[in-house]
Amino acid sequence: MIRRSTRQERRRYYFLQTLQWVIFGLLIALAFLTSTAGSMLKPLLLIPLSLCISSHTGEIQAMAVGTISGLLLDISCGKLLGYNAVLLVVCCVAVSLLYNYILRQKLFNILLLTAVCTLVQGYLDYTFYYSIWGHEDVGLIYTGVILPSGAMTVASTLLLYAPIKWLAEKCGNRRTHELEKTMLGAAYRD
Amino acid sequence: MGKFLQSTKCKIILFVLALLIGIMIYAVSKGGYTISGIGIFKSLTAPLQKASNAISASVEHVLDMYTNADAYYQENQALKKEVAELNRELADYQETKEKLADLQEFVGIKEAHTDFTLSSPCEVIGYVTNDPYHAFQIDGGSKDGISLHDPVVTEQGLVGIITEVGEEISTVTTILSPDVSVSAICVRSGENGVLSGTISLAKDGLCRMSYLNLETRVVKDNVIITRGDSGLFPNGYVIGYVKETRTDEAGMTSYAVVEPAVNVENLRMVVVVTDFDGKGGKK
Repeated sequence: MIRRSTRQERRRYYFLQTLQWVIFGLLIALAFLTSTAGSMLKPLLLIPLSLCISSHTGEIQAMAVGTISGLLLDISCGKLLGYNAVLLVVCCVAVSLLYNYILRQKLFNILLLTAVCTLVQGYLDYTFYYSIWGHEDVGLIYTGVILPSGAMTVASTLLLYAPIKWLAEKCGNRRTHELEKTMLGAAYRD
Repeated sequence: MGKFLQSTKCKIILFVLALLIGIMIYAVSKGGYTISGIGIFKSLTAPLQKASNAISASVEHVLDMYTNADAYYQENQALKKEVAELNRELADYQETKEKLADLQEFVGIKEAHTDFTLSSPCEVIGYVTNDPYHAFQIDGGSKDGISLHDPVVTEQGLVGIITEVGEEISTVTTILSPDVSVSAICVRSGENGVLSGTISLAKDGLCRMSYLNLETRVVKDNVIITRGDSGLFPNGYVIGYVKETRTDEAGMTSYAVVEPAVNVENLRMVVVVTDFDGKGGKK
């Protein structure tokens, strides 16, 4: 017999969901601010952050996270508006779908996906913003900027993954609830 | 998966993607002018960016003191030697007189810019993430009379050019970028050339003055100033100092490696020259 959730439980669930998204929003804002501070080489924190969040959410939420993070990335990197947003929407939705249908919540999976996304972003950046213009020694941009920044971006997943996973699990994300419902449904039918 | 592709969710995602591509195409068509909605967003985030940049600058300053203490000591020693050498040089009247003439020219340049219309001082909001040429954003825009391709300067010298203008925020591309070319002249020898950035020199904060004669008379420490014949930059503004001269790869001309007078990596405040004699080729 499935027990109906009480009003108090529902209220607690909505509160936790709101809290989760407020924290996600703050993390995205923080990642944007750190990316514009100082002129030194930095990881593109918005990429692993949006992918980590997407791995715990549905497709529509992943799309929203990808859009916002992508537009912020465009502003901080001084790129054409929408350029990174398109890429991140595709990547975030793909990550969400992969976790929905195929992948399990493992650190290696998100590291691999972040690496692929960063590689694609770096390659497109290098091609359209540097290589295409035919400046001499353009390879130095790849070895001196794109690769180190990409490596830092992938490495930063190690720091971001655990807190986001913890937060998503504590706040009872949509997927956990769907899985719980399915399992309970199956148990009830049996 | 097939179920997802037929779902409303998929249609919504495709719609948002199409919208973003539309924004991107619209942004291209604006040709350097920020889309108004984004301008407001940038204005809203500007104070936070400023705060973040200020914190970063303070931390960098403290770390710099500790990590480079040895380098500063060495630099101090080198400077002491240099002072001793300069004192010896004072004895040589002729040489001192030549140096004085150079300095007088430099001072003269500063006094001669009565034709400039300057914006109010603009604060550097933040640097463009991972830009190898250290492009940055300033808190001045079209509301302050700033327009596309206006030169950006500090008291020490030329910094770069405005490459994107919003209502309240603009982006500055520095002279370290290969996309910025400045018609330049050496004050001492009077030789002309084109100053622009290169990828290999940009990482050391240097740029290159090309198309000098093979037998160039440009030597170390010569002052390089703008020539002003392109209509983009005012005439006679300091760009930097010659670090060394080299022969180019083809062996046909020489080029000078120029150290900009302004360290573009650590800027706090700049001024935009919104109008000057000869702007846009006008007399």
